[in-house]
Parts: sequence; structure tokens; C-alpha cells
Amino acid sequence: MRKAILLLVALGIFVLVQNSLTQEKFIDVRQEMANKLTAVKSAVAKNDWATALENFARAKEIWQGEVKPMITEGVKTNEQFREYFKRMAEIEENLNSLAQILEGKNTEGIESKANAVIWGISHHPRGFDLPKPRYSAWDWVFALGIGLGFCIFATVFGLHLRKSYYRRYKKIQIMN
Amino acid sequence: MHADFFIIVVYLALMFGAGIFFSRNIKNTADYFLAARSAPWFWIMGAVWATNIGFLHGYLAHGGAAYEWGLIQANFEWFQGPFGYVLTGIFFIAFYWRAGIYTVPQFLEKRYGTGIRTIYSLAWLIIFVVTIAAELYLGGMFLKNFLHIPFWPTVFVLTGVVGTYTLLGGLGAAIMMEFVQFVIMMLGTMPLLFILLHLVGGFGGIKNILISQWGVSAQYFTVLPDIHHPYGPGPWIILGQCMVVTIGWCAGHQSMVQRNLGARSLYDSKLGYVVAAIPKTLGAFLYVVPMIAAPIIFARYGIFVEKADAAYGKLILNLLPTGMLGLFIAGLLSAGLSSIGSVLNSSSTMLIKDIYEKFLAKRKSDHHYFIAGRVATFAVIVTSLLLVPVVLKVPLIMWLEQTLLAMALGPFMGVLVLAIFWRRANTPGSLVGFITGAVFAITLQQGFGVKIFFQISWWSFVVTLLVTIFVSLLTKPPKKEKVEGITWESDFESMVGAIVEERAETKAMRVTEMAPRKITRPPWYLNLKYWATAILLVQVLLLFFFG
Repeated sequence: MRKAILLLVALGIFVLVQNSLTQEKFIDVRQEMANKLTAVKSAVAKNDWATALENFARAKEIWQGEVKPMITEGVKTNEQFREYFKRMAEIEENLNSLAQILEGKNTEGIESKANAVIWGISHHPRGFDLPKPRYSAWDWVFALGIGLGFCIFATVFGLHLRKSYYRRYKKIQIMN
Repeated sequence: MHADFFIIVVYLALMFGAGIFFSRNIKNTADYFLAARSAPWFWIMGAVWATNIGFLHGYLAHGGAAYEWGLIQANFEWFQGPFGYVLTGIFFIAFYWRAGIYTVPQFLEKRYGTGIRTIYSLAWLIIFVVTIAAELYLGGMFLKNFLHIPFWPTVFVLTGVVGTYTLLGGLGAAIMMEFVQFVIMMLGTMPLLFILLHLVGGFGGIKNILISQWGVSAQYFTVLPDIHHPYGPGPWIILGQCMVVTIGWCAGHQSMVQRNLGARSLYDSKLGYVVAAIPKTLGAFLYVVPMIAAPIIFARYGIFVEKADAAYGKLILNLLPTGMLGLFIAGLLSAGLSSIGSVLNSSSTMLIKDIYEKFLAKRKSDHHYFIAGRVATFAVIVTSLLLVPVVLKVPLIMWLEQTLLAMALGPFMGVLVLAIFWRRANTPGSLVGFITGAVFAITLQQGFGVKIFFQISWWSFVVTLLVTIFVSLLTKPPKKEKVEGITWESDFESMVGAIVEERAETKAMRVTEMAPRKITRPPWYLNLKYWATAILLVQVLLLFFFG
């Protein structure tokens, strides 16, 4: 029995570690891609086009070979991949534009396109997708209910305390 | 970078050394668990805030949630100040203090009996172990990004430092360290707000860019959003958060209460708690407002952010200059270490006082429990480390923590409110009420898929109240001597009574031309009423301006 429990615990830890490693992998590959794109920006600033192209090629390779497949596979089982899946077309479009600008050795627009790709593979706030505020009748019912409820509670509680006060100390004592 | 690294290493070494230094005066359980009841109010203020604000409740996780959902996250600071700190300081602390207890479950036992004490202790121990695991995970992730070293060694270093001073020094060391950490946190992390606001053109600039240029919903800038909000609808924030979660957290969280029990007097304890609402309010400007501006910075400078919980770390690593970054990280580490330290200390206190001493090793020597306390601290550290891989899977740490709290705080607040404010509440009522409330909360979440934790805490609170009242009325009332001194009615009577008697005494003295007795009162600037009123006014102004 003891051995079976130990085996179960070990199995549980193994599964947990496996899962966490997958999560970390998705973070690490995107981080590497972002690092390569940052290196592209630095190289262009130094007018080192060969290094810039090399880093860009590696960034695109990571996108095609690791990040994109992880997103397309991940979205089937995990909602966390949904936001990246929705932005895939936009990311590819920015990567293609960046490739064209780099080929033309044009410094204009490289930084903004590279930043757009990095921002595309980053996690965006979920609050950005919220609709505009829709204060309904329920909001007002709640607000009034809470406000009135609080006033009634304060009055009843105050009266209760007042009663307990006078029960022990006669009014005359206080008047004096 | 080298200067930053140097500052951090010096800071960690100082924390480590100070822990060993403070541990030399620890001789018994009262020293270890209650700091020999010697802390003045300003230590309590610093320690309470530093306990509350860590990687999890503050910079990294609250900052992460602010990045994810916007200004709504400021509620945790602006409502917890007046509702949590001030109300707990004024209404609840006195009862704990007078009951002469070490832990909140001990108070529940005095009022209701052993059953509820055990259930409550176990529930909080689970929350504490998960909390420490979450803090270690967040700290490890942050340092991994900063130092570019693997995650696990970072977690072990953090555990080693905080474990040493908590394990050796107990609450005394923890409170002293927390006060120092409070100062470092404030000075180290405040400059970020000004740098950010300068970069984005003030709060108006953030709004202008996000709403007008990016088309982000105005709900991202609302403190009390509409009822359809998926994270925290306005009405549920008021009911669930203000009335239940924040008060339950401040009055029921062993770490928070334990700091107050370590005060040198009841007045120091109350004042420390009330005044701690000021830094709590400022917290929103340390990690909520900066995180609303963060998306603009990330997109503008091409900074990669993998998940919301990592956003705060990424922001400061890419924005702050050398030297200032080191100081900032020292402040951040202070926050994390103080929170982990306090929860570690409280976990071991509950484990020893509520479980070990009660059920496993009764009537042993004080030295025995003192040693057991250190063993318990070590056991909690190891268990939390084993839980880190589980926490690693959670997309937003705030969600995990709030889900656990939603299930525990509603039922707890129900029985605590009745324990103090209703003499008729009894043991069977509280036990049935607490269990029903907890089961109801779990059913709401797991069975009906309710995702808004404020809603869960509110309804479980209401159910607990109703069931406790109903069962208490059906069963025998508690004996008068059992509730004497630890219920509000008796406290109110004794409080008012003291004033009436004092007046009568003074008047009698005047009649007989005797010199009136000198009553020692605190100076006006330490008056609890003035501080409480000022804090409430500031909260109203903040809500008016940002709401």
C-alpha cells in the first residue's frame, strides 16, 4: 500500500513537471524570437546588415519551425493560445514587410515593424477586448439596493447599540 | 548591470545577516511567535503593509492583473484601505487582543469550540502553502529574467534567505525586517511611476493613447465597471470585495493579525493597522497605474512580454537606468521576502498552536514547541517548493489565489461577524454554517461554473450567516461567561461604561475640590479617529477622481 502511494505521488510530480516544461518551452521560444528581432534592430543601428539579415533569418526560422506550430497545435486544446492564433496573420504580414525592408537595406520602418512583431507574439491584456461599458438597469438596482441596504443596516445596528447602552446606563446618569 | 547586481547581493547578504543577528534574543514561544509583544505602532504599520504587499499581493501578481484588466485592480488597494485596514483596526483587533491568543483560530475556539478552529486552521494552511509557492514562482520568474539564470536555482536562493531569518528569528525578526523592507520598497519603487508618466504624457496621455488611438474600451480605466465585466463587476466588487473579502482578509489572515498581536499595546496595534491604510492606498500608484501604461511602452519599444504576471518585471528591466534598477529590485525583493517570511512564520504558528499542540503533542515543554516551530517552518518551505510546478501552469496567479480565498473568506466572515456582534451565535450554528458556506462556495464554482470570485464570496457569506443564525436559534444559547469580553455588545458596554464612570469620577472629584485624575491620552497626531477620518476622505476623493 505504502509503495503504491509513493508511486502515485511520483507519477503526479512527473506529470506536473512535464506540463510545466511545455508552458516554459512556449515562453522560451517566443523570448528567443524576440531577442533575435531586437538583435536585428541593434545591428541595423550599427549599419551591420549581414548580422541583421542573419538574426532575421533565425527569427523567421523560430517562427516557422517552433512558435507557429505550437500555436496551431495548442489552440486545439488550450484557450491560452487563442489570442496568438488570432494574430497569426498580422504577425506574418509584419514579418514579410520586415523582410522586404531589410532586403532593400532601408533603415526606415525597420524598428517599427520589428516592434510590431515582438508586440504580436507578446501577451496582450484581456481587458483590451472588453466591450464599451453597458451600465444597465441592473447596475442601478444593485447600486440603490446596496446603498439603501447599507443605510438600513447602519440605522438598525445603531439603534441596537443605543438600546444596549441605555439598558446598562440609565439616561439620568448621562444627563448628569 | 554590475552595479545593480552588487546592490542586490549586498541587500540579500544584509537580510541574511540581520536575520541571524535578531535571532539571538529568541528564547521561548512568546518571543518566537509574538515578538514578546514589544512592537510600537510604526513597526506594526510597516510590517502589516510589507506582509500584505509582496510578489503576489502587489508588484508582480497585482501588477500583472492590472496589466490584464486595467484600473479595476486599484480596488484591491483603495477599498482594502478603508474597509479592510481601518474597520479591522477599529472593530476587530481589540477582541483578538483581549482574548490573549496567538492565532485567529484560537479566537474562534474560545468563542465556538475546537471543531471550527481545526477546520479554519487547515483551510488557511492550504492557502498559505499555495501562497508561498506562488510567491516563490513569481520571484523566481522575475530573477530568471533579470539575472538570466535558470528558474530553480533562483527559487532555492530566495527560499534560503527568507527561510533563514524566519526560521531563526521568528516574528520579532520578521517584523523588524519588514519595517526596513517597507522603507526600501517605498523609496525604491516609487520613481517608476514618475518615469512612466513622463514617457506617456501623464494619466491623460495613457487614456488618450489607449482609448483614442488603440480603441481600447473605457472599461479598462474604470474602478467600478458594469455588471457584465468578466473579472469584477462593480456591484460585486462592493458587496463581495468591500464587505467580505477585504475585511475577511485583514481580520482573518493569520499573518496580518499576528503582526498586530506583536504590538506593545492595544492602542499601538489599532493605530498601526489604521495608519497602514495610507501605504496601502499608495500601492495603486506603485504597481497599478504603471501597469496600465505598460502596454504602450511594450509596443513602442518592442519589449516582449510572455504573460501578464511577467509584465511588471519586464517593464522595470527595460526602463530603469543602472543603479536605480538595483535599488528597485532590492525594494521588490523586500516585498517578496517580507510576504514569504510572514506567511511562513504564520503557517508554523498555526501548525504548532492549532494542530500539533492541540492534537499531537499536548502539554509538552515550551522549549519543545519552540523547536517544533522551527521544524514546522522548514516543513512548510519544503511543501511549498514541491507545489511550485503546479503554480507554474496557472495563466494568472491572481486567479488562483482569489479562487481559494473566495471559498474560505465568505464562510469565515459569516462566523466571525456573528461571533463578535451576536451573543446568541453558538457552536453547532457556527460549525454547520461554516461547512454549509464552504460547500456552497465550492458548488457555485465547480458545479455552476461561477467565475467571479467576489460573487462566490458574497453568496457564501450570506448563506453562512443565514444557516448559522437558523441553527443557533434552534439550539441552546452559549453560556454568558463564554461570550463575556469577546463579543461586541459587552465590549461596547464596557467601553461606554468606562467613559461614564470616568466622567462621574471626575465630577465627584471637582465637587470635593480634589485634583482630577490625570488621564494619559495620545497626542492629537496619533489620534485614531483623525487618521481614520482622513483615510476615508482620501479614498472618497480617489474614487471620485478615478471612478
